Amino acid sequence: MRYPILYLLLALLLATGCSKKLDIKPTQSISEDQVFTNDANIKAALNGAYDKVSSASLLGGDLQLFAELLAADGEIRWAGTYNQPEEVYNKAILTNNSYVFSTWSTAYSAINICNNIISAINVVNADDQDRIRGEALFLRGLMYFELVKLFGQPYSAGNTTSNLGVPLIITPTIGNISDANRVPRNTVEEVYTQVLDDLTDAKTLLPEENGVYATTYMAAAVLSRVYLQMANYVGARDEANYVIESGYYDLPSTYAASFNNTANSSGDILAMQVTAQDGDNDMHMFWSIPDYGARDGDVDVLQKHINLYEVGDARRALFYIDDLGIYRSGKWKLQYRNIPCVRLAEMYLTRAESNFRLSTNVGDTPDADINDVIRAKAGLGSIPITLDAILLERHKELAHEGQRIHDVKRLKLSVDGFAYNDNKLVFPIPIREINAVGGGVLQQNPGYQ
Amino acid sequence: MRTLKLLFWAVFAMSALTSRAQTKTVTGKVTDGKDGTPIIGASVTVKGTNAGTVTNSEGNFSISVSASATSLSISALGYESQEVPITGAPLDITLQPAQARNLDEVLVVGYGGTKIKKDMTGNVAKVKGADVQGMPVSNFNQALQGRAAGVFVEANNGKVGEGVKILIRGSGSISASNSPLYVIDGVPINNSSYSGNPIADINFNDVESFDILKDASASAIYGSRAANGVVLITTKRGKAGRTNIQVNTQYGVNKPTNYRGFLNAREYIDLLREAAINSDHIDGVDPLDPTQYEDSWLEFAEGRLDRYSGWSDWRSVETNTNWEKMAFQKRALTSMLDISASGGTDKTKFYISTSYNNQDGILIGNRFRRLSTRINLDQTVTDKLKIGFNLGLSQTKAGRVPVDNEFSTPMQIVALSPVTPVRDLDGKLYNTPTTTYSNPYVDYIDGKYQSLIYRNIGNIYAQYSFLPNLFFRTELGADIQNQNDDQFYGFNTTYGNGTNGYGESDWYRSLDYNVNNFFNYKKTFADVHDLDAIVGMSYQRYNSEYANVFGEQFPVEDLQKLASSALIKGGTSVESNSSFLSYFLRANYKFSNKYLFTFSGRVDGSSVFGNDRRYGFFPALSAGWIATEEDFLKNSNWLSFLKLRGSWGLTGNADGFGDFAHLGLWAGSSYNGTSGLVPTQLANDKLRWEKSNQVDIGLDFGLFNNRVSGEIDFYNRKTNDLIYNVPVPSNSGFTTQTVNIGAMQNRGVEIVLNSDNISTRSFRWSTNLNVSFNKNKILKLDGDQTIVPGTDGRYLNSLMVGQSIGIFYGPRYAGVDPANGDALYYEQDGKTTTNDYNLAGNFIVGNPNPKAIVGFTNSFAYKGIELSVLFQGVFGNQVMNGAGGFMSASFDWFDNQTRDQLRRWQNPGDITDVPQLRLGYGNGISASSRYIYDADYIRLKNITLAYQLPNAVLQRLKMKSLKVYVTGVNLLTFTDYPGWDPEVNTDYRASNRNQGSDFYAAPQIKNISVGLNIGL
Repeated sequence: MRYPILYLLLALLLATGCSKKLDIKPTQSISEDQVFTNDANIKAALNGAYDKVSSASLLGGDLQLFAELLAADGEIRWAGTYNQPEEVYNKAILTNNSYVFSTWSTAYSAINICNNIISAINVVNADDQDRIRGEALFLRGLMYFELVKLFGQPYSAGNTTSNLGVPLIITPTIGNISDANRVPRNTVEEVYTQVLDDLTDAKTLLPEENGVYATTYMAAAVLSRVYLQMANYVGARDEANYVIESGYYDLPSTYAASFNNTANSSGDILAMQVTAQDGDNDMHMFWSIPDYGARDGDVDVLQKHINLYEVGDARRALFYIDDLGIYRSGKWKLQYRNIPCVRLAEMYLTRAESNFRLSTNVGDTPDADINDVIRAKAGLGSIPITLDAILLERHKELAHEGQRIHDVKRLKLSVDGFAYNDNKLVFPIPIREINAVGGGVLQQNPGYQ
Repeated sequence: MRTLKLLFWAVFAMSALTSRAQTKTVTGKVTDGKDGTPIIGASVTVKGTNAGTVTNSEGNFSISVSASATSLSISALGYESQEVPITGAPLDITLQPAQARNLDEVLVVGYGGTKIKKDMTGNVAKVKGADVQGMPVSNFNQALQGRAAGVFVEANNGKVGEGVKILIRGSGSISASNSPLYVIDGVPINNSSYSGNPIADINFNDVESFDILKDASASAIYGSRAANGVVLITTKRGKAGRTNIQVNTQYGVNKPTNYRGFLNAREYIDLLREAAINSDHIDGVDPLDPTQYEDSWLEFAEGRLDRYSGWSDWRSVETNTNWEKMAFQKRALTSMLDISASGGTDKTKFYISTSYNNQDGILIGNRFRRLSTRINLDQTVTDKLKIGFNLGLSQTKAGRVPVDNEFSTPMQIVALSPVTPVRDLDGKLYNTPTTTYSNPYVDYIDGKYQSLIYRNIGNIYAQYSFLPNLFFRTELGADIQNQNDDQFYGFNTTYGNGTNGYGESDWYRSLDYNVNNFFNYKKTFADVHDLDAIVGMSYQRYNSEYANVFGEQFPVEDLQKLASSALIKGGTSVESNSSFLSYFLRANYKFSNKYLFTFSGRVDGSSVFGNDRRYGFFPALSAGWIATEEDFLKNSNWLSFLKLRGSWGLTGNADGFGDFAHLGLWAGSSYNGTSGLVPTQLANDKLRWEKSNQVDIGLDFGLFNNRVSGEIDFYNRKTNDLIYNVPVPSNSGFTTQTVNIGAMQNRGVEIVLNSDNISTRSFRWSTNLNVSFNKNKILKLDGDQTIVPGTDGRYLNSLMVGQSIGIFYGPRYAGVDPANGDALYYEQDGKTTTNDYNLAGNFIVGNPNPKAIVGFTNSFAYKGIELSVLFQGVFGNQVMNGAGGFMSASFDWFDNQTRDQLRRWQNPGDITDVPQLRLGYGNGISASSRYIYDADYIRLKNITLAYQLPNAVLQRLKMKSLKVYVTGVNLLTFTDYPGWDPEVNTDYRASNRNQGSDFYAAPQIKNISVGLNIGL
């Protein structure tokens, strides 16, 4: 110990050369400025956008569940214990309903990814730019369409240039929140215009084939829904016809074959992909029973709905009765199955209804579409075609697939004593969102103020 | 008792080895230094040996000692021990009654420093290890509850080995950590783990002292991490001399502090049917009319009664199950065995121990077992060089239960219907669809959740003295956690149902290593200037890695490892890292034993902040004046000690909000079997240190020769640049951003009083009282927002400028409309009432932060009997029952209801606070003041009655000490809280803001144990 100076030096050594040690990078995330630097990353981001759209809060089931619960009308009952769907079922939604907020925020999260992709489209390989941009536009249009249907008065209620829809955000969030995020709601008309622009552009940009991802026909099919909401029957008819005539889709061999699939059926135009490893299916979760890995059988199908069907209807046969004697929807019976969102059958129904209303026979006659296609597949004989008959077939064919409340609203029907344009059939803007935007910028819907 | 037998044999074996050599005889007399009376039964031993005797009825003793013996140790209960040299002549020994030694306590102040309490200018609360030794709890924080002023301890619930919150002088942050920094023998430990509580890995029977650094002057030496205070834990070390062996063994039983009570079957049936009929009436249906019965609410309800009653007939109330009792173990036992040895020579000193602690939780499936060992070794190599190491190893095995909001957690069993039999006619446990929800008891029987944690905390050091006044010390420490959680749920369980089982394996490892290098200089100049200074650096690096895999489809329930899973559903592996680099300086200067000054400063860099915001500077200054050293007070008869002190300092917080919160990040996702990228976090390259600015003014005093002593402290702690995950418009694609906003304040008063009420030869009674008042206030959020209301629907914890963190802000319940039974709320004017929850106004309806906390200890000693009684109290806070919307919900659904629902509104004109029962119509079940309750409580936290065998007996048994005791924890609780237990914060959402919430949280554990403590 005769060289204390050595220890001093050692100490100094230990005390220096450490500042680099504060540079630590994450290992399972990458910095935002790295994302939009190459083709592969942007394509991965696009898949991320689909992932968001397939979340439980969106087309992974909640959008469909909400639409059915709002339109329950004694045909189904929310028998589950969760309060958030119960509020929707009772048409007494609280402004802090967490499911409602998740739907709002997840949709915007998907929209933000789309906005990012669209703004960085030049980084994508030239050959793929149209497709990638088309897919992003398709998903953005789809999300705004779903949002405006739930959070605004229906298009059928008129006053579309004064009724409020949702805020349109079409620029990406990069780096920070900006004033572009503290904006008021756009009108229903403005949102529909954006939806039409996005989907129309997407339709021209997208290819005919693209695996389970967006195609020109997928865009057309959703466009037909949009036009139907707007009572633009020409548009609805032509888009539906475009899809049917493409020859890319066929109705599956049986009605039941449209559901509980691990891969898209031939009739699936848009379906959310679910596997055991990936993807949510809240429709299975709430509509099926514990024997099939679901919750408690939270949605009961009631006799009033079953009574809609004729004897021998394959669509009725798909319902099953559980141990307690309660009807369950067979469409959502099994776990880890894809969720059909737009099926070819809907295109026939839309074409038939539109042709009937317009007294045209584009593609085929309403009689042929209803009797030879839809009813024949259900194992039923022909009936005389009236508008009511077409709409009843639509009701049964698309039962519990998340379309009912939107049909109720466009057809100006009433459910559970609520008129189609009752404020209680419109979701509240999440209170958390109103607070976060601040300054009273985001206006609450009537009936929730 | 087998253990005990072995011990006795060990004692005999040792006594046989006592060597026989040349002896001489020493005689003497022991008397009371105050009144001169002889002391009977005082222990007289030869220093460094086992040989000894006791005094007789005249206080005389005679002992034969070896020729080489030089001194004797004399001790007696209630007196200060003494050592006397052997002179050859008869010894006349006087013992002084033991004094309150509070002011002479040695406090540990960090980086090797210690200080006599008298000389302290900052605020440090010390809890001696001996005071909490053998307390039958798993986590030392629970043992500290009520024992230190300004230290608020709250267990989330009564799950053993799980979350315990500790707040020193209030809540300092919104989104960053609120926990103090824990330093064990110089190693800052990692306070996070995959499951369970990392503090529970530590055997606190090895602890010599807990020194809780509360004010900025005391804690600023740990600058970057010290904003929430620092808990310095010093483990026991050996002393030169004979080897002391201590054995402590203990057995006890755990029980819940309270049962809540729910409706019985008769009441359940009646009220449920009433609720259904009421709902039918709303729909304009008369369900009692057979033609209107179909699809009615009553049909729905009676269908459910059929379903829930299984084989039995609900109409004749054949079954009446008390499900609440099923959540708890019938026999929850605890046991502890603790063995330690310490001793050494001039050059080598050691402490070794081993300990086994076994606690059955009160909940089914909840268990905690800890096996631990410790070796502390110090070696003097030369007169200049010392080296040594400390090493604590532990293995914790825990049977865990799911968090409070899982259907499978035991306490949620209370929701099941009392009409449901436990088993079917074949003796099989009922589950859904017969039970209302999946039955947690099935999860308990057919599932398992076991954690196994290996924890290794230790360091090595070398200390070299260049000069008598100057030494250099280097320490290398590490805290390694290795954890594996194994879960398996059988074919009938909540998770395994429909998928032929569910298995999960989680692996977590964390490595936290730490290097400290510092110089210490200590010198007294000209007899009056005392200087003590350190300067040094520290580097710390954290790494944690986690991996898991989970799967379904098991062939049989006996095969529970994932090797047997036919469907691996998923898995992950993740890693996180952070580092700190710090330089520090501390100087204490004392002039003439009267004037005290301390300065400390620390520069800290951390990887968790934006590039140019990494470094922070954290200075602190303090001064003290010992007035009783001044001539004019020196000779006061009653005032024996008086010190005024004041401190100011800045400390920082960099924990608890993620390692990369300053970066804008994207992470992997997948869809359609293809990988994707999704944004996960908004960037904030301006993210910087949260800084806490604290002023403390204190007074230490001693009266009547320090028989009464105490401390009074006033503090004001203001945290600026609060790190907060501020809600942002989610139309951005993000919901929060981590930013520095606003400021928060904690102001308070702490009073500590110690008193030796009675101190005679045979009877002693001493009292310790600590009372603390704290007021937390948010001074500023970001410029625009003054209110950030709660986001989760069942609770109202909000952030409001001018109010305490997590205040309950929301609708105020206005009771029940006597006309129709509707639940009513006040509109914003505070007067008009409405039955529409969306129209209700928002008000401050409660505060989860306690206004005051109190600890009150009384210790009595009479001859060999000792009694210690600790009462602990929490005052002025409220708790919100987030599960009210299920369990006190006017039968909105089929959950069994709390007994208060019996006083529901039934007929027009009824005046009550429980709305009309309505199935499916949610009458008044949303979050409001309806579910907020006062949660003040006073609790008999700990009571211990011990008997110390007299020396005469010990001599015969050849033991140094033998104590039998009985101890109890939480034996009595006084409260008006209507739930299970007022000490609660449900685990699944516990955070800085989310406080005071109950959600099927298990009541706290009540324990009674008997023990035996042997010293050899």
